[in-house]
Amino acid sequence: MKFIVESLTKNAPRLGALREIENRPNLVLETPMAMLYTRGGSIPHITNEVFKLLTQKSQIIQIPLVSTYNFEDVMSVYKGTIAEFVGMKECISCLTVQDPGDHTLPGYHVENSIPLWTRHGKVLISAKSYMNLVSLFKPDMYYLLSDGDTNISSPAKRIRKSVQNTIKYHKQCIDTHENLTGVKNSFMMGAIAGGYDLKARKECIDGICQNDSIGGYLIDGLHNNGPEVELLAADEINPVVVFVINNLQPTKLRAIHGCWNPVVILKLVQLGVDLFDTSYCYIVTERSCALTFTIDANGNDEKFELNLRQADFAEDFGPILPGCTCLACSKYSRAYIHYLVNVQELLGPVLLTIHNVHHYMRFFESIRQCIGNGTLSLLEEKVGNQFHSSKHVDQQDNVLASCERVDSADAFASAVLEMDRDNITASVSS
Amino acid sequence: MSSRHPLVFHVLAECKISKARVSKMILPHGEVDTPVFMPVGTQGTLKGLLTEQLDNLGVQIMLANTYHLGIKPGVEILKKAGGLHKFMNWNCALLTDSGGFQMVSLLKLAVITEKGVQFRSLNASKSEIVLTPEHSIEIQNVIGADIIMQLDDVVKTTSSDDKRIEEAMYRTTRWLDRCMQSHKRVEDQNIFPIVQGTLNTKLRSLSAKAHMKRDVRGFAIGGLSGGESKDEFWKMVNLSTDILPKNKPRYLMGVGFAIDLVVCTALGVDMYDCVFPTRTARFGCALVMTGQLNLKQKMYKTDLTPIDKDCDCSTCKTYTRSYLHHIATIHTVSCHLLTVHNVAFQLRLMRNIRESIKENKFVEFVQSFMVDLHPNKDYPNWVIDALQAVGIQLK
Ligand SMILES: [Zn+2]
Ligand SMILES: [Zn+2]
Repeated sequence: MKFIVESLTKNAPRLGALREIENRPNLVLETPMAMLYTRGGSIPHITNEVFKLLTQKSQIIQIPLVSTYNFEDVMSVYKGTIAEFVGMKECISCLTVQDPGDHTLPGYHVENSIPLWTRHGKVLISAKSYMNLVSLFKPDMYYLLSDGDTNISSPAKRIRKSVQNTIKYHKQCIDTHENLTGVKNSFMMGAIAGGYDLKARKECIDGICQNDSIGGYLIDGLHNNGPEVELLAADEINPVVVFVINNLQPTKLRAIHGCWNPVVILKLVQLGVDLFDTSYCYIVTERSCALTFTIDANGNDEKFELNLRQADFAEDFGPILPGCTCLACSKYSRAYIHYLVNVQELLGPVLLTIHNVHHYMRFFESIRQCIGNGTLSLLEEKVGNQFHSSKHVDQQDNVLASCERVDSADAFASAVLEMDRDNITASVSS
Repeated sequence: MSSRHPLVFHVLAECKISKARVSKMILPHGEVDTPVFMPVGTQGTLKGLLTEQLDNLGVQIMLANTYHLGIKPGVEILKKAGGLHKFMNWNCALLTDSGGFQMVSLLKLAVITEKGVQFRSLNASKSEIVLTPEHSIEIQNVIGADIIMQLDDVVKTTSSDDKRIEEAMYRTTRWLDRCMQSHKRVEDQNIFPIVQGTLNTKLRSLSAKAHMKRDVRGFAIGGLSGGESKDEFWKMVNLSTDILPKNKPRYLMGVGFAIDLVVCTALGVDMYDCVFPTRTARFGCALVMTGQLNLKQKMYKTDLTPIDKDCDCSTCKTYTRSYLHHIATIHTVSCHLLTVHNVAFQLRLMRNIRESIKENKFVEFVQSFMVDLHPNKDYPNWVIDALQAVGIQLK
């Protein structure tokens, strides 16, 4: 796999593509793009059968190790790749360490290992054990192990440590990569740590950017993942991102992960970031919302998102977003989805995910188009206006609800209990 | 009788030995091949599946619950939506229950009077709410299912209060008449009466015979599958199908375990429903011909085979037991995947039953099904007895 960028700019929006993908010679994945966020290997609420109804185009699935590390035993006997194992063989896979959709607990570092907060508690991952997992999973792309446990308020000591760790893991991973069979052709990406301290960022870049086998870089250490990332403003991250991109070779792919709101995404694209993920769709879905902002630079302003839980939609038999061609909008109504989310039926989030991911993928199509014809600033203004004018009380409520909801992990397990109650009533139906 | 029949029932083939038969039931929203298993979509959705997925599975008819739908979204919204079919984007057949049974079992304070099922609401108003036969039909008319159920007077199957059973049996018939009188969509919805009488042979016969005098196009066998012994259960089913006319479908309510489906089809039942296949999916269980697999168990951790290699559902074509093991009860996707498989399992079983009847090999089918399930031939006595009653000897 190769990343080929159209213009070797630094802090400017750019078009590029991943090409020459192994076993898929004709596939071209255009950037800027968002990888499909998964948990336990599946897009939340979406089976492979439904995925094929959602899109026919090839995509990259992002596989966070946090929710898949326990596949180790089976992957050591399974012959195929991680994408095949999780039932998504149509997709390119990309292994990441942390889960952008879920808050990563800070701290608890030990020498030579990264703490992963899994469903089964804390698991320590060293460069060696990480690379072993990489060789078992055989992803098409993967990030090298890094210590991204910093945010805007991290103390200098933690920042320094994160840079030292990241440089160390980087070297250990690369040394191992050379000796690994099976992942020789994987697209390898490094991570730049250093929080909001430019000197630390420089130190990290200098420490790791001397290897041409690295295809791209993750700007790590900006946040601790989870729904709170949506609240971060572009101004706060701007200096770090500008600085890091200026110091990276322009031929390399640049990635930033997390559930950034679309306004920040556009800012990051303006600065030259190429790769994101769809964890934002996940947190929007979990708060029963649907994205409705217009992605047309010349379109009419729309409400940024709709909270379908609200009573206003109980008798609204129109689609989530008129004109949207997704399956949810072409066949199902706002009233039905409103009803489903209110009675906690699992089909509600299925339909919301179908629409939200579809809309988000079209948002990125629009971004690429606008870069192509030089109208990205118009789109940025358009999306910004819609975002800020709907920043009234319920928008805030939505966001806060989302922080609570996703943080109270394992909504499904409790939903199972919930449904059990529901089913006891149903099982006596005759 | 209306000129257009909302239910046409053609018996296509009959087993030469037992009472099993294959039929085609033509309803306003499509044809249904019977014997049929109807998956239960309690709240107007089949547990997380898109109707596109139900089409892929070949589901021809599903069940929805009047009690739940009457509370939410409620009659007004269903009316505005143009009925449940449109509301949920489902173009094939639907069946609704009367809502009575759920009221009785959910609301401990419910009292049954001649008027209907009555209870005091738990909210501040403490107002009295009554579900009458008329009200149940009114809601079901709004929902718009192809087949609707009369409100029946429910008695615990294992009750030993003969006076109460008798009262309920007669009242069920009186309520049937009230239901039929208030039914406003005779042209496109079919009311099924419910044969009651719990485990009392005499009362059940009386109930069946009384209901047969009404102008109806099918019958439900109710009051079973409620904790009675299997010996009592099959005898009541057998008695009911002996009495009920051959040219109309018979629906056995709340039955859906594979072995029950096979035995009751031999006894002449055409339609079934049960929440079990979809419910057990949520707890990580997959149905197979020999029982069910609890995929949470450690033994599946590195099992790279599909749930069932002979199953052609999208889950078995794409996913391994191992993957399902890792996500079962953790991610909603596991529930969707197992629901797809379990519904596919039920439909495949019914398809195999129908094909064997058509090919005049039903007896052999039953024999080999039972051997697969009990390789040591330690068949349950009720199965031996029930099948013997319709001339099938197990090998
Ligand atoms: Zn849509
Ligand atoms: Zn299957």
